[in-house]
Amino acid sequence: MATGSIEFIVLLLLLTLGYSYVPSAWGKRAVLGACSAGFIAQFLPNLQSVAFLAAFVILGYAVGCRLRARPDHRLFGGYLVVLVAAFGVVQRYAVADWVLGDLLSGRTIVVIGLSYMLFRQIHFNVDAMQGQIPQTTFWGYLNYQINFLTLVAGPIQRYQEFSHFWNDPKPLLQTRHQVLSAYLRIFVGVISVAGVSAALLHAHDLMYAALAEANSKAAASAPVATTLRALAVFYLYPMYMYFNFAGYCDIVIGGAALLGLRLPENFDRVYLARNVLDFWTRWHQTLGFWVRDYLFTPMYKGLAEWNAARAPALAFLCYFAAFVVMGIWHGTGLGFLIFGLLHGAGASAAKLWEMYIVRRSGRKGLRQYLQSRWIRVVAIASMLHYFAFTLIFFSNDVEKFRVLIRASRHAWFGT
Amino acid sequence: MSELAEALRDVFREVFDDESIVLADNMTATDIDGWDSLMNINLIIALEGRFGIKFATAEISGLKAKGQNIGTLLKLIASKR
Repeated sequence: MATGSIEFIVLLLLLTLGYSYVPSAWGKRAVLGACSAGFIAQFLPNLQSVAFLAAFVILGYAVGCRLRARPDHRLFGGYLVVLVAAFGVVQRYAVADWVLGDLLSGRTIVVIGLSYMLFRQIHFNVDAMQGQIPQTTFWGYLNYQINFLTLVAGPIQRYQEFSHFWNDPKPLLQTRHQVLSAYLRIFVGVISVAGVSAALLHAHDLMYAALAEANSKAAASAPVATTLRALAVFYLYPMYMYFNFAGYCDIVIGGAALLGLRLPENFDRVYLARNVLDFWTRWHQTLGFWVRDYLFTPMYKGLAEWNAARAPALAFLCYFAAFVVMGIWHGTGLGFLIFGLLHGAGASAAKLWEMYIVRRSGRKGLRQYLQSRWIRVVAIASMLHYFAFTLIFFSNDVEKFRVLIRASRHAWFGT
Repeated sequence: MSELAEALRDVFREVFDDESIVLADNMTATDIDGWDSLMNINLIIALEGRFGIKFATAEISGLKAKGQNIGTLLKLIASKR
């Protein structure tokens, strides 16, 4: 039962209708816990996976409690290495397969949403060590990690927000209008996922298959038709991604609100972003903010404190490192690494350009530049196309890039 | 203006390289040109050095969050001194 499927929507709606009749806070927590346990159980194929998930959560909680009681950077560093290594092994990153070789053959651990759990766990441990996590219970932490509303694809909620709800699960929506708006949001989400995004993906796949087929033929294909197909592939995939992911978020955020849980928003007028740095404050916001807070900030802060004179230059290193991690966090293929590198390059270019304008025209000049309507239009259009370009590597490793290049060459030059 | 507020203003002027900055309690990150994520960290480093305090990750990201302003930053610094 995938999020966005008919079964999921029906069960979510039934839960939202019946949840307010559950008499006590304890009962509400038990119902949610049972839903989350039932949801994740269907994706655990064997005992190895169950054992891994149990170890992952129990160890994460235990380390968090230990760090909260007695902050210890060495313990945290050691734990982080183990955690990331375990993640790499389970997700079967090439480097893990290369290091461990045959040891991994025949062992299949599958834990859905593990990448999200990893980031939630790191956040929990860092914040616990820094005294930012209030008193917690294992029961609460477990439900934070396996919450069926955020398990598969976020949003990456912070523990403090979840515990606020968990400690006192009461209705969030006060008026009839708010309740109806939440149901409307779920409805819009279902239309986006099941209708719009499914149609866009279907059209994209048809165009892509036609391009791939044209590549396999000896004769050159019609240049105009091939170009139109290539453009369709280029534009349809970002549109599919947006409607699918934003629609999914509408479903879970609307459903969560009806249960009393406020989930963070994940999209903010994405296609108005004017550069890569702006983009990641609008698209998958909770991921962008997580990377900023738990990767970029500590990396840059550490380097800047170590060598203040070189801090401006070191910032670019941090952009690349942060976006590369973000890229390979999405998946194991080479395409995700390229996706991350391209976003690191885009972020660096945006920052360099801003620095150039400030140096040339000062802060006042930058303000005027940012307020220019035409520059804004050009920047937004450029960002939209840059994102669409980077998604070529996201969807199908590097093969899609090859197909697009080969089809264009084949059509226009007959080679 | 309190001594703490004056010291905070000096840090802002130094970090943002702008002697004309004047702070008010209700000012937010959007009111100060160039206060992006990178400058936010530079500001934190300068504040930690100037006041001899440490900010947690959640506090650093919270500085630019909705509802946060110079007044809340002053209170946060005062609570850590």
